[in-house]
Amino acid sequence: MTVRGTLLALHLPRLTAVPTLPSYPFSRHRLDNGLRVVISEDHLAPVVAVNLWYDVGSRHEAPGKTGFAHLFEHLMFQGSKNVSRNDHFGLISAAGGTLNGTTWCDRTNYFETVPANHLETALWLEADRMGGLLDALDQDNLDNQREVVKNEKRQTRDNQPYGAWLELLHEHGFPESHPYHHTTIGSMADLDAASLEDARSFYSTWYAPDNAVLSIVGDVDTDATLAAVERYFGGIPAKGSFPQPPSTEIAAHIGQEIRRHVPDRVPVPRAFIGYRCPPFGTPDFDAVEVLGTVLGGGRGSRLYKALVLDRPLLQASDGDIMSSWPFVGGASLTVADLPAREGVDIAELEAAYHELADAAATQPPTDEEMTRARALITSEWLHHLANVDGRADMFSQFTTLFDDPGLVNDMLPRVLAVTPEDVARVAGEVLRPDNRVVLVFEPEAAEVAA
Amino acid sequence: MTTLVAERPEPAPPRPWRFPSFERRTVAGGPVIACDVPGRPLAMVLLVLDAGAVTEPAGKEGVALLLARALSEGTRTKSAYEFAVAGERLGANWRADTDWDAMRCGFEVPAGELQAAADLLAEAVRDPGLDDETLLRVRDERLDEVRLELSQPGPRAGMAFVDAVFSSDSRYAVRDGGDLTTVAALTPDDVRAFHAARFAPDAATLVVVGDLAGTDVDALGRSVFEGWTGTATPVAPPVVSTRGENKRIILVDRPGSVQSMLYSGHDAPARAVEDYVPMTTMALSLGGMFSSRLMYRLREDKGYTYGAYGGYDCRRHGGVFVARAAVHTEVTAPALADTVAEIRRMHDDGLEEDELDLARRYRSGIFPINFAGSPAVAAGLSDLIVHGFPDDHFDRLRAQIEAVTTDEVNTAAQKRLRPDDLVNVVVGDASVVAESLGEIGLGPVQVVTDEA
Repeated sequence: MTVRGTLLALHLPRLTAVPTLPSYPFSRHRLDNGLRVVISEDHLAPVVAVNLWYDVGSRHEAPGKTGFAHLFEHLMFQGSKNVSRNDHFGLISAAGGTLNGTTWCDRTNYFETVPANHLETALWLEADRMGGLLDALDQDNLDNQREVVKNEKRQTRDNQPYGAWLELLHEHGFPESHPYHHTTIGSMADLDAASLEDARSFYSTWYAPDNAVLSIVGDVDTDATLAAVERYFGGIPAKGSFPQPPSTEIAAHIGQEIRRHVPDRVPVPRAFIGYRCPPFGTPDFDAVEVLGTVLGGGRGSRLYKALVLDRPLLQASDGDIMSSWPFVGGASLTVADLPAREGVDIAELEAAYHELADAAATQPPTDEEMTRARALITSEWLHHLANVDGRADMFSQFTTLFDDPGLVNDMLPRVLAVTPEDVARVAGEVLRPDNRVVLVFEPEAAEVAA
Repeated sequence: MTTLVAERPEPAPPRPWRFPSFERRTVAGGPVIACDVPGRPLAMVLLVLDAGAVTEPAGKEGVALLLARALSEGTRTKSAYEFAVAGERLGANWRADTDWDAMRCGFEVPAGELQAAADLLAEAVRDPGLDDETLLRVRDERLDEVRLELSQPGPRAGMAFVDAVFSSDSRYAVRDGGDLTTVAALTPDDVRAFHAARFAPDAATLVVVGDLAGTDVDALGRSVFEGWTGTATPVAPPVVSTRGENKRIILVDRPGSVQSMLYSGHDAPARAVEDYVPMTTMALSLGGMFSSRLMYRLREDKGYTYGAYGGYDCRRHGGVFVARAAVHTEVTAPALADTVAEIRRMHDDGLEEDELDLARRYRSGIFPINFAGSPAVAAGLSDLIVHGFPDDHFDRLRAQIEAVTTDEVNTAAQKRLRPDDLVNVVVGDASVVAESLGEIGLGPVQVVTDEA
């Protein structure tokens, strides 16, 4: 089935300093086996991005199998029926392209950006592992990639100062019964226990054309591309049905303040304060994004002004003080990252932070604050969509999560329509003492000083 | 029944690509490079200044970075907050950084706001506040940052590595942003003096990249250069000398580490070296892409690491070669031995033709992807300025890559890799790894203990 997407004119609130927004053309299609396909032509450069989302992430993992979706993603690069073990990387590299895959709570994605004349190489590789992974999967690959993934966890978390913060935030922000209670990387014990049979079963359960979205953005012809997609993917049968993922139903609030002190090998104290907030895709999540920008996005934000410029409490950073983690399963997280300046009492920093966070409910953003936030959100959005790879990922995201690729064009106007009253309201609902996890990392007591 | 296409498809004929065309102008006495890339909603306006770390006076290591940071902390007429809001309400993101050879500052901004962004850039560069209170805060923030880096395995290894490779009178012995000692000694007067010495129209080039259909590029140039006078103080090229005490292992003790960070390498030639293309193409096969020998051996074969990398960092006055990986503590010694063995194998035996073919195709094919957005094109143009490359540099470079031969690459491997002369750095738990590191024939193990 093929549905050509029509582009609607954008209706924007009247704003100053917001540029004309681009409207990216696209068409959406569905193969007989259920594979959803989005094609968007962009002829600015002779390159194409191929991006495949599978609707499976760490949220779908069974108890005792944490980290498995991600470990499995690694196995997808170890060859398949017609692709030998090192060819996946080798062929894309020889094409002059880049590739990778990532796993997250709500999905697993695989992507290549290649010179446009190599489009079919990428399609062939993706189709071969979608339909023929089991021919190549073996114990050696599993054992090797298990060690690689354990080293990934060590490198990015266990061996880094403050490296445990994300795991702790999930652990305390979601109850044990909730699939976001654990992070995507999983636990060492579960990784050790993963078997070849687990991998075969995971693949057979979730990896199928009718559980995937393929987005192709770049210097291509839509009809010829669709024909090529049909040629490579059309022979992979639909699976037909998928297990019900674990329930994500959850209360809107955590219900109490959860506070943990974490002694660590770190130079200064640093607090991470996480709140449960509405799920990605709801208007109130859009409002939380604007709230985060007003309060803690950029150097003109309330928190930056108060804690960095007016009082030297917080370490300045290019990064944002507040950020939101978009999840679709019942609740998202929004997080404040507060590293103390050398010599600053973390309690003083935290108190100063709460004063501003609490005030947000009763002090809606001014016109000037809204203008700044909207302009920053707009340019950040344009930045994400500027290149074909980022745009392809967004088409896959919105199609997988909301069955609506048009959100690539329509989501930003929605966020820009958030009102100051919306911002104050969600601040009151989200930034509450009984809805926060406070993780305070502090330097370990100097052991046996040398 | 699954039916897959068994035959790998042949690529279609490649489509032509050239580095985006650009023009050079002189506006109000200052050089401007403008590159119109239609269809890109975000643009870059960037000032490239000959104010990199190598232009810092001796003893003032890190002052360039402090100045770069201080530029957005307010001007004579705007507070830091007012300056931030003035940019952010345009949707403009301020960027300022330094490396060895240049300072770059400016905005990524919606194309329609280029003029307003250029006005702000001019104000930041020509009339920065640079008051004592702000500069001391910026310095203290930088000290906080260095302390954090000291606690991170990768940056800590990088510090130990340059300290071990270069002699103490060489600027390259301290990282470009300075270290705890040098940064702590910097004063507000140092920052102001560096600004006075290095910021002048004869040491600056304005780069504008984006959809310039509605933009008066000359007006942007006038904003930055009109009425700007003075000349940059000449500086001598930096001292670059090595300690000559390689073939050793520096073990930075980091108790409790579950991984060891490995660095193995030596000094390397400057960017202008005649065999730059064969040398760096060789390095790509050694450790510069996923399908490299280091990645294969340490990750895909042994599972020692999440990733192993190696390559050259070639600056105007010198450089380094380094191979690096974060490996599980238990395999520290064999992983370091394997790393060195791959460097030696490349040196001794060179590359096979099919390996070179892959590296050549990758490096040539990646150009249109690497130069896809306005920030990337601006970075490329900044390279032209820093190294004095001709306008057709990137197209020529690409042609040189496509033409490089096995002989040239293997000659470069023999000349530019020194497997018997490697400085090895390990950041890890000395109580676990010290003994085995002493048994792999890579020289004596010197343990370094950081103050708690």
